[in-house]
Amino acid sequence: MSLVETATPVARPLRGSLLRLVRSELRLVLGRRRNLVLLLGLALVPLLLGTVLFLSQDTALDGQGPGFVGRVTGNGLFLVVASLFLCLPFLLPLTIGIASGDAIAGEASAGTLRYLLTVPVARGRLLAVKAVGALTFAAAAVAAIAIVGIVAGAAFFGLRGITLLSGTTVPLGDGILRIAAVVVYVGLSMTGLVAVGLFFSTLTEVPVGAMAATVVTAIVCGVLDQLPQLATIAPALLTHHWLDFAEFLRLEPDWGVLGQGLALQAAWVAIFGALAWSRFTTADVSS
Amino acid sequence: MTHSGAMTESRRPAASPTRRALSSPRTRWAVPVVAAVAVGLAFAAPPLFASADDAGLPTISPEELAAQVASAEPSPLSGTVVYTARLGLPELPFGDVGGANPVALLGGSSTMRVWSDGGDRSRVALLGATSEFSVVQDGPEAWTYSSTDDAVVHYSLDAADAARYDELTAQAEAGDLPVQGDLPTPEEAGRQAVGMARLSSTVTLDAQTEVAGRPAYQLVVTPTSDTTLVGRIVVAVDAETSTPLRVQVWAASDTKTPALEIGFTDVSFATPADSVLAFSAPAGASTREVVVPLPDVPEDAAATASDGSAKDLPEGVTVTGTGWDAVVEASGLDVAALVAGDPSAAASLPGVDKTFGSQGAADLYSEFVPEEGSGSPMGDLDTTALYDTLTTEVPEGRLLSSALLSVLVTDDGRVLVGAVPGATLQALAAR
Repeated sequence: MSLVETATPVARPLRGSLLRLVRSELRLVLGRRRNLVLLLGLALVPLLLGTVLFLSQDTALDGQGPGFVGRVTGNGLFLVVASLFLCLPFLLPLTIGIASGDAIAGEASAGTLRYLLTVPVARGRLLAVKAVGALTFAAAAVAAIAIVGIVAGAAFFGLRGITLLSGTTVPLGDGILRIAAVVVYVGLSMTGLVAVGLFFSTLTEVPVGAMAATVVTAIVCGVLDQLPQLATIAPALLTHHWLDFAEFLRLEPDWGVLGQGLALQAAWVAIFGALAWSRFTTADVSS
Repeated sequence: MTHSGAMTESRRPAASPTRRALSSPRTRWAVPVVAAVAVGLAFAAPPLFASADDAGLPTISPEELAAQVASAEPSPLSGTVVYTARLGLPELPFGDVGGANPVALLGGSSTMRVWSDGGDRSRVALLGATSEFSVVQDGPEAWTYSSTDDAVVHYSLDAADAARYDELTAQAEAGDLPVQGDLPTPEEAGRQAVGMARLSSTVTLDAQTEVAGRPAYQLVVTPTSDTTLVGRIVVAVDAETSTPLRVQVWAASDTKTPALEIGFTDVSFATPADSVLAFSAPAGASTREVVVPLPDVPEDAAATASDGSAKDLPEGVTVTGTGWDAVVEASGLDVAALVAGDPSAAASLPGVDKTFGSQGAADLYSEFVPEEGSGSPMGDLDTTALYDTLTTEVPEGRLLSSALLSVLVTDDGRVLVGAVPGATLQALAAR
């Protein structure tokens, strides 16, 4: 065995060491300045979008824009949806790729991974702790957009019952529930990407490489999804069901479609989680 | 490593044999392989099982099937419909970025949600990735709503027509529609339909199939002519409710995939909720009112219904050939101006009064002509560009050739349409 380990002999896993590890990982992920700047950047998206739309709402451009942007001035709730829609193709995968690609490769490049391995917790569990950290960051990223979006939307445009894509208007309470469902669905749509990032992170000691590979995976999936020639493999692509959050804004959401989206993410988590586990539990860690 | 024995690393060779087995790197790398296979099976298995299942329905004749369809009460239903067109038309210069738009039906695949109460209330929603185009019919009124530009178009009858509509509905419910002559019984209607089809085609039943998880019969209509573009038409009919569940139109040139296919991928025969079938324009949406004239019931309705061909063709329209090879020719049309949206050009349309008979008709026409920033179904689409993309230059004029239909617009203002190859139309036009 080429594993470099310290000489501290530990007879059995200390009780609570896993919990302590989770706590310290969360403190690390959510306390790291770089991650906070990333969250701040995401939170700025609804704020800037809201400001721009607020300032231009009396001009001829009012009500224009792709996706849900045109609906924001009529109802602040749509600021959440419009911001998520704008962040989904690139900004969200980028920030989540940075955090999850850094999870293990970052420790390896800083030389702290071997110390982490001395904690009396099996490698599989250590990987799970890292996954919890990366998933928490992904949830925080989506929540940052949603919370700032709803606050800014309420301040700029006010909240009222939403007009669905089908043209039916539902009351405010129902509308907020639907928007919350959109946010949860977008959050769950990121789990596959986190698993991909964790796997790349176990492959290398260069965090930038793992981050780039993760972001590239999301973008390549998005591009391939557009090609009609690849329609047969499109349903298996990571990003294929990301925009299905719009289902919650239809008259009768089709749970089959939403279930497919979640099943697809579960499949990516299963495959890339297993790959990451195999790699991490068999790798030689020397730094 | 000398001190590894003291570690708690689970990968260290340990006492239990299972643990030793798991600790070998090769076995550990087998885990993702197993995971991938399990995932692949989970996603691939359900369709395999579905197609392996035989419906096992009693055998019936095409006439019986047609009679069942004719006699079936229209049942309330809701479901998802997928429409796929492989017409061989040139690639349209826009993708899904334009949102849900009926023009997308010209090519590629579209998904629609359908709700109907089996009577005169229904809703059809054409789905885009983040948009929707809805058509709602509620008795004498209808609406379209485009979520892309938040625009409503409300179609309604004027007061006199609305009263007439209510009267007709009441009569229909009472079962005495003002139709002269005898209405054929469903069996007769089925026999007549199959008999008509047999004049120019062979009608057979194909193997039973399953559509949207329901066992179905397949009625196949194959043209006897071998010069038409249409290979065959396959209609899948639900065995239980006799509702047609899928229609496929196969081109003669392609025997692998149907050129046109529209069918349920998911269907339920429960009555949809009232909120689905009702519509009121959302606040803030741009709304346009269109009054539609109710067509007069023709005096000779019964006469045309019985023999089907007695109806006089409008002035300027001739039909050449019979059955599947029939070519319809209309003359005196200024197609280029029509396409460009010049309302005066519409006066040249055959069958249309030289001037619009009512304001409603004029409105209805303007509905299908793009206006800047209006909520017309075609959106802000440049129809002239679309026309130029879809057609090709030929010596006689411009030709649109698709897998099932050819349209030739000649330079001298004639339009020839038929389910025949473009060359046939060109030969006819040159005569």
